Amino acid sequence: MHRRTFLALGVAGAALVAGAAHAADPVRIGFSIAQTGLFAQAAPSQMTAYEMWRDEVNAAGGLDVGSEQRAIEFVWYDDESNPTKAAQIYEKLITDDKVDLLLAPWGTPTHLAVAGTLEKYGFPMVGNTAASVAIRQVAPGNIWFPTSAIPDKIGPALAALARSTGVTKAAIIANVLPFSQENLEYLVPALGAEGIEVVINESYPPDIADMTTLLTAIKDSGADGVIALSYPADSFLYMGQAKEIGVAAPFQFLLVGPTIAAFADAFGPVADNVVTLGHWSPHQAAWGRAKPFYDAYVLSFGMKPDYLDTALAYMSCEILQQAVAKAGLDKDALRATIASETFDTINGPVKFDGVENAITPTAFLQLQGGEMHLIWPADVATAAYKPR
Amino acid sequence: MTMDLIASPQLLFSALVLGAGYALVGLGLNLVYGTMRLLNVGHGDLVMLGAYVAFWCFALTGLPPPLAAPLAAALGVLLAEALHRGLLHRLLGAGAERIEANSLLVFFGLSIIVQNLAALAFTASPRALRTLDDVVHVAGVAMTESRIVILLVALAVCGGVLIGLRATVWGLAIKAVIDNGRAAAVVGVDVPRVRRLALWAGFAIAGLAGALLAMVEQIGPFMGFPYTIAAFVVIILGGLGRLGGGVVAGLLLGFVQVYGVALTAPTFSSMLLYGTFVAVLLLRPQGLARAARIRS
Repeated sequence: MHRRTFLALGVAGAALVAGAAHAADPVRIGFSIAQTGLFAQAAPSQMTAYEMWRDEVNAAGGLDVGSEQRAIEFVWYDDESNPTKAAQIYEKLITDDKVDLLLAPWGTPTHLAVAGTLEKYGFPMVGNTAASVAIRQVAPGNIWFPTSAIPDKIGPALAALARSTGVTKAAIIANVLPFSQENLEYLVPALGAEGIEVVINESYPPDIADMTTLLTAIKDSGADGVIALSYPADSFLYMGQAKEIGVAAPFQFLLVGPTIAAFADAFGPVADNVVTLGHWSPHQAAWGRAKPFYDAYVLSFGMKPDYLDTALAYMSCEILQQAVAKAGLDKDALRATIASETFDTINGPVKFDGVENAITPTAFLQLQGGEMHLIWPADVATAAYKPR
Repeated sequence: MTMDLIASPQLLFSALVLGAGYALVGLGLNLVYGTMRLLNVGHGDLVMLGAYVAFWCFALTGLPPPLAAPLAAALGVLLAEALHRGLLHRLLGAGAERIEANSLLVFFGLSIIVQNLAALAFTASPRALRTLDDVVHVAGVAMTESRIVILLVALAVCGGVLIGLRATVWGLAIKAVIDNGRAAAVVGVDVPRVRRLALWAGFAIAGLAGALLAMVEQIGPFMGFPYTIAAFVVIILGGLGRLGGGVVAGLLLGFVQVYGVALTAPTFSSMLLYGTFVAVLLLRPQGLARAARIRS
């Protein structure tokens, strides 16, 4: 191509771009991600949801911002799994990068750390991967939590589920990390209230390397329900060693871990009928968006989504998208919309009461034939509970 | 429950599997530290790379991890050689007293780079593979096949290396370099070649350990760090550069964790591990192995 023609084309192109500049300005959405550090292994389950949502929206012409459609552009930084650093990043995103919208960082402590920044600048953000009774102590107004997996509700619901499956004697083993211990606090009295005897109640450190003693004790205790308030690494350890030792309780619950795609890869049929925490399944036909999301995710990433974290992260995007379509980018209008509207998500309708999701019930999943099915409560269940 | 459990061969099996894993991971680090005085804080990342070799071999071709282990070991050798040519020969020329401090910084940097490259290449999403997961019952002990393989291979490699050190010329040369590099050079040992061989062996063992552990662990770019910590605990406990002492220390840590939990409570498992570590260092600062010989 001649130099002159090239220049002329360039000028013409620049003129075109300038003319369309306003309409083409992307919506900039900021967040921090735990790319390194303690949560780095968990963070991709959230990032993949964000990326998929952005690509879907952009492919459909962009984010509906009330009156026009604008492409989404992400502005993100690594928070090194450090909540304090995350809070600084959110401050930078708001004041320096001047992003239009925010998505959530990963994990409960990180959400709690950035809540103060959101409050300071009056910037609304829909959270996702946070679950603790502590979220209720956050001042409502600029942050919302779509999860229904909050320990004071999990305890009674899990006890009721265990009772319904015929458990009479429960063995509990719990990681000493906060989410497990918070669950333990509410679970023990709830089991008592359901008339279930707790025959073992032991805690263990997160770096536990062997469970032979614990699992032998469980096997010998005659417990017909095992409740492991576990994190992913110890869920893996439990599953492998429970098989070796021959823990045969018909009801076996693992708190966090089985919803990760690698768990089913590691254990296949061995993990069949394990019960875990989760309120979303692609098999719930009443949630029209659930199955298409699942199929698109598997197509994009070649693995199944994390039924807990990926689903929550995607829900937070859906809520933000629908709120922006109605309210635009004005913070006050957006805040009022998120706080009052009902949103249609892959997990069914979501409406907030204060900081909490008032519709989605606390629910449990069971791995059946490699598929995650909701088995509790009855009104959202996609399959009946099966004993191991 | 306690006394029955203490006497149970089930507990013994678990302690041996855990201890043999520690011993194997520690052995690779000890070879590198002993001969070259390199503080490889990226040792666990070699374990991680070995685990990914096993994962991808299994995922793409169905090759079981025990057969992928030699490939993981070969990758270790390649990395060792690349590192030797690219960085270490310069580092080693810096003068003995600077080597440890320099190597700490270099390996710390490399560790972060390797972890993040792995995250870029494979994503940080955890992976896992299912193989050899049948349970075999022998004399009342239930043993998962993969754990039997880990135990047998780890013991064979540790035993083989320890015997090789005594029974082969190269082994004796490695021992001589560990004991006193200058004296070894004086009596005609080709110290640079011996160090290079030890570096190959150390990296290869780490890769092999990773391929084995991939059968029982989640695989991810950041899985290596706990193995680095474990390896350092093992070799400090066993006596730096004392390869036999390191193997004993690895097994001991497995026993302390498994039997310690049986005798106390699971909450004590980390305290027992590090308590043993501190206690041994207080009583025998030189580690479990016999006192180090006088160095030049």
